[in-house]
Amino acid sequence: MELSRSWRVIGHLVLLTCCLAVAAPVAVVLATALKSPSEVFQPSLWPSAPTFDNFATLFGKARFADYLWNSVATTVLRVSGQLVIALLAAWAFARFAFRGRDTLFAMVLGAMMIPHLLTMIPVYILMARLGWFDTWAALIIPNLAMPFAVFLLRQHMLAFPRDLLDAAEMDGAGPWRALWRVVVPNLAPALSALTIILFVECWNEYFWPLLVTETEASRTLQMGLREFLESDGYSDFGAMMAGVALASVPAVALFLILQRRVMDTFVASGLKG
Amino acid sequence: MSDAAFAPGAAAEGIPSAVARLPLRLRLAGVAPWLYLAPTLLGLGIFVYWPLIHTVALSMTEWNLNPDQPARFVGLENYGRVASSTLFEHAWVNSLIYVGASIPLKVLAPVPLAVFVWSLGARGHAYRAILFLPTLISFVAVAIAFLWILNPIFGYAKAWLGEIGVRLPALLTDADTAIWTIIAISSWKVMGFNMLLYLAGLASINRDLIEAMRMDGASDGVILRRLILPLLTPTLFFVLISTVIFTIQQVFTPIDILTGGGPQNSTTNLFHMVYQYTFVTFDVGAGAAGTVMLFALLMAVTAAQILTLDRRVEYGR
Repeated sequence: MELSRSWRVIGHLVLLTCCLAVAAPVAVVLATALKSPSEVFQPSLWPSAPTFDNFATLFGKARFADYLWNSVATTVLRVSGQLVIALLAAWAFARFAFRGRDTLFAMVLGAMMIPHLLTMIPVYILMARLGWFDTWAALIIPNLAMPFAVFLLRQHMLAFPRDLLDAAEMDGAGPWRALWRVVVPNLAPALSALTIILFVECWNEYFWPLLVTETEASRTLQMGLREFLESDGYSDFGAMMAGVALASVPAVALFLILQRRVMDTFVASGLKG
Repeated sequence: MSDAAFAPGAAAEGIPSAVARLPLRLRLAGVAPWLYLAPTLLGLGIFVYWPLIHTVALSMTEWNLNPDQPARFVGLENYGRVASSTLFEHAWVNSLIYVGASIPLKVLAPVPLAVFVWSLGARGHAYRAILFLPTLISFVAVAIAFLWILNPIFGYAKAWLGEIGVRLPALLTDADTAIWTIIAISSWKVMGFNMLLYLAGLASINRDLIEAMRMDGASDGVILRRLILPLLTPTLFFVLISTVIFTIQQVFTPIDILTGGGPQNSTTNLFHMVYQYTFVTFDVGAGAAGTVMLFALLMAVTAAQILTLDRRVEYGR
């Protein structure tokens, strides 16, 4: 569609302003993170001599090495678990006909509509009874069953070409082999897109870790940021911003690598509300 | 909706009938789907559905989270106590402000932006990518970054506003401005995502229709009013509902990081109220009662969502 010239100019101006509004805070964070302690409280945008001292503070004085490890390990374990469990459930719904299937699928869809905040108190009590406080298990296990992932994968499996499945059956592959040898390799685009969604959600999670983590045994990066803010953040904004940058890099990096795919999947994921 | 969703599933039923010719496979086939489903059903049962029921039970007890102290049944007392507290009054009013302010800022403002980016075609991808960035950054990181930028003594906003002769007030410690600061930051975070949803809605509009209208002499304004906006209405409803749910839940993080619900409860919302009751003052009964009230609110929103989806289907015909 071709807009008139004046509207085009106004449109570009408004959007450039919005982009500036997004970029400016990002620039401030990066600039502050690279400043030396003596320069942090001066308002110049770029540091005169960029330094990584602030990152060294995070890994020396604060326990960011532990937090980073907890974040990476729990995210990898949780996302892999979510993918495997969702693949199995989606396959059951897509491949088998059995009594109660539609009711169960409706229950899975229903769970998609129930946000964590409505279930947190009993789950928190359960964690305490099981002695899972401050362990990786508390971060991983309650979130393993992922209704949205089941729904998305089932849709993709139903759209899977029947001929390929029939060929696999003819070659004597049972449902289990067909799933892992035929379906999963051909579902790679949907799976990688889903991985990114689950990764970002887990990596950036705030509320649940706030309840169940307590020490560096299980604190994630996001919790590390909160703790550092409360202990040193107000006096050492250089290291604080280095932490903000560190916590943001993995998700942003994934996005830059897989930009188009992330865009399309986030649109699809918007369906969960 | 369920009929349409399950229709394609019928295609898969042919396979088990082929398998059924083998007696062993037949017997296995009866149990197999349940084995595949077991982890998901266990997970949802233990961590979603049972806790929902347990929350209702807890809302009728008095308990302080201490396992050595038994919970005492008090009936509906907690509901009355929560509903008449000043914290609830603030949380309720603020929740309405958060949601009300979201509609122009997060739901309506991205519409013209999306239409313009869409009109640029592939040249608009750079805008799309930059504006999407805040979606990926955790809300903790965003909140802490703004805490530094808005620092009343050393912050960049103070220095930049100082250049043009404006004095930066202490936005986050003033009860009149704190909630609006949080609303602005959460709009910053969600704007690009909503724009992307609108772009998805716009992508389904046939550009030939626009050409046809233009040939008939329609101006940009007429095309926008008569074609683009009506076709975008279902997406708009969807964005509205998802933004309301997003706002109720996600502003918890900036509230917790930036203000802790203060000053004088001026930024707390229903979710933060539940958190305070349960995990700060260990009043589990009140926290659970607040959760049930939130559940009722979300159910109302979800009902509206289902109605919206029905409209969407109507439109597709």
